[in-house]
Amino acid sequence: MTESPSETTGNPVVAYAADVAELVGASSFAAEFDTVRIYVDRGDWVDSLRKARDEGGLEFFSWLSAIDWSRAVEVGDPVEDPDELVERFEVVCRLSSVENWHGAQFIAVVPKDDPVIDSIVELFAGAEWHEREAAEMFGLDFAGHPNLKNLYLPDRFEGNPLRKSFALLAREVKPWPGTVDVEAMPGGLGGGESDESAVDDGGEGE
Amino acid sequence: MTVVDPRAAMHLSETAVSVELQTGDMILNIGPQHPSTHGVLRLVARVDGERVHDVDPVIGYMHRGYEKLAEVRTYAQITALVNRIDWVSGFSNEIAFVAAVEKLMGIEVPERASYIRLILTELTRISSHLVFMSSYPLELGASTPLMHALREREHVLDLIESVTGGRFHPNFNRIGGVKPALGQGASTKKMSQDLPAGFFQATRDAMGRVLDVCDDLDDLVTGNELFQARTAGVGVIPREKALEYGMSGPNLRASGVDFDLRRDGEMVLPYDRFDFEVPLGKNGDCYDRYVVRLEEIRQAAAIVAQAVEGIPSGPLQSKVPRIIKVPAGQAYVRTENPKGEMGYYVISEGGRIPYRVKIRSASFGNLSILPWILEGTLVPDLVAIMGSLDFVLGDVDR
Repeated sequence: MTESPSETTGNPVVAYAADVAELVGASSFAAEFDTVRIYVDRGDWVDSLRKARDEGGLEFFSWLSAIDWSRAVEVGDPVEDPDELVERFEVVCRLSSVENWHGAQFIAVVPKDDPVIDSIVELFAGAEWHEREAAEMFGLDFAGHPNLKNLYLPDRFEGNPLRKSFALLAREVKPWPGTVDVEAMPGGLGGGESDESAVDDGGEGE
Repeated sequence: MTVVDPRAAMHLSETAVSVELQTGDMILNIGPQHPSTHGVLRLVARVDGERVHDVDPVIGYMHRGYEKLAEVRTYAQITALVNRIDWVSGFSNEIAFVAAVEKLMGIEVPERASYIRLILTELTRISSHLVFMSSYPLELGASTPLMHALREREHVLDLIESVTGGRFHPNFNRIGGVKPALGQGASTKKMSQDLPAGFFQATRDAMGRVLDVCDDLDDLVTGNELFQARTAGVGVIPREKALEYGMSGPNLRASGVDFDLRRDGEMVLPYDRFDFEVPLGKNGDCYDRYVVRLEEIRQAAAIVAQAVEGIPSGPLQSKVPRIIKVPAGQAYVRTENPKGEMGYYVISEGGRIPYRVKIRSASFGNLSILPWILEGTLVPDLVAIMGSLDFVLGDVDR
């Protein structure tokens, strides 16, 4: 039985995060909710991940994706503190071990005006699809990717759906149907009149 | 006038072979609608006769944009989305998501609810693997195992339905516990909120039948020479390639990687209280992937049998606020789905809907190896290899 992070005391996750951060030369790290986040510079992206794989034992390529940190959001909630927010993309790559619970999200900040980062396909061949997905969904460019065409979206699709600035068309043309048939909840919850109330009340009043 | 000596003339058969056969590459389009593609997957294969040169999988026909949809739904509503990702194992898709939200909110799940989650997850695993046990021999030309495997799967689905009310998309997990069950035939008010009457005995019976059908499958398929000829040594995936492409679950273990999140990962569900083995393959070929899954059915049945004996009493739901607001934070939780690592990276900014949910689905990684594994294979092996990966396109496209 390998030790599980939530079961042991003295928080081994934080200690582990510090080790990984030192190994790859991270600019900063965080270890909350048993989730290790290692922030590396965009220029060190490939090298950091190579080190994590070869020296850190994180051989398993789990996924790669991105986050759009944006002040203006077309759908959904904005960030907690928009004034503090630095607008940016974060490219996230999850690597983990197949010996124990070790694993980390490696995160590189990519500026909005220059959304380019090096491809890691040479390190992990499996990243090819993940990078294609991130490219079409966020409008990122992965330098050195062998075949950066759309993965899911049709060839002539316009826009990058997972950007916060991308409107959800279904919500534009038709109010969220989750509210329509719901009976009014005690205390005036649910029973939506508008699109907003569905989002606020949890629809069926969970 | 020339006299042709028939004996000196070229024999007809020699003439035929002396003509240079112009063989060229042919583009063979497989799918999007094809029985072996388990959904809508299109393969553009460049073949020379029976030999596959390269394959370009075209996916996205099932893309529903769950990651975007999750950004406009409350946490409670998202469980209804996520159990449609891999529709063959709907229940277990929900576990990692609710666990991530519970982690962000600091909610402890009651023991009984954890046990119910675990039992249903393992039943889902059995049901998912039985689908593989029925479809895979069928793709290789054996139709009898289909009847045996699907018959027992029906009993397992009945069990899931008796608790959750749904066969495929239970939407049964609640943040902080599970939904009160249908509670048919219960005598007291308290019990009416719990598992249906006779569930434990029905489960024991069903697990006995599942073990029987595993033996039947051994007789029908595992030892079958034709089956072995089609699968042994075909589609070999070495350990390094499997890791590099992010293959997980039975596909990874068939390549000899001894890793199972139920045993080695964080204990999202209380697997550490049960005895079970993690079956491994040696060669990483189609045959091993089949055998590992067959053995996993037996192990899952053993876990369910133990869990049914040891299930504690208590509440099904811990105290959660009526309106679920998740404190700001980022949590990644992964569980062992029937098809591999299922993970959700939930980013909350303190509101009632998440800022971002990244869905890591198992079949996406398992399928991404296709171009590499199919290069240079024979066309009949293409079906054998694809089937052995046991992917569901909903799990690929999300």
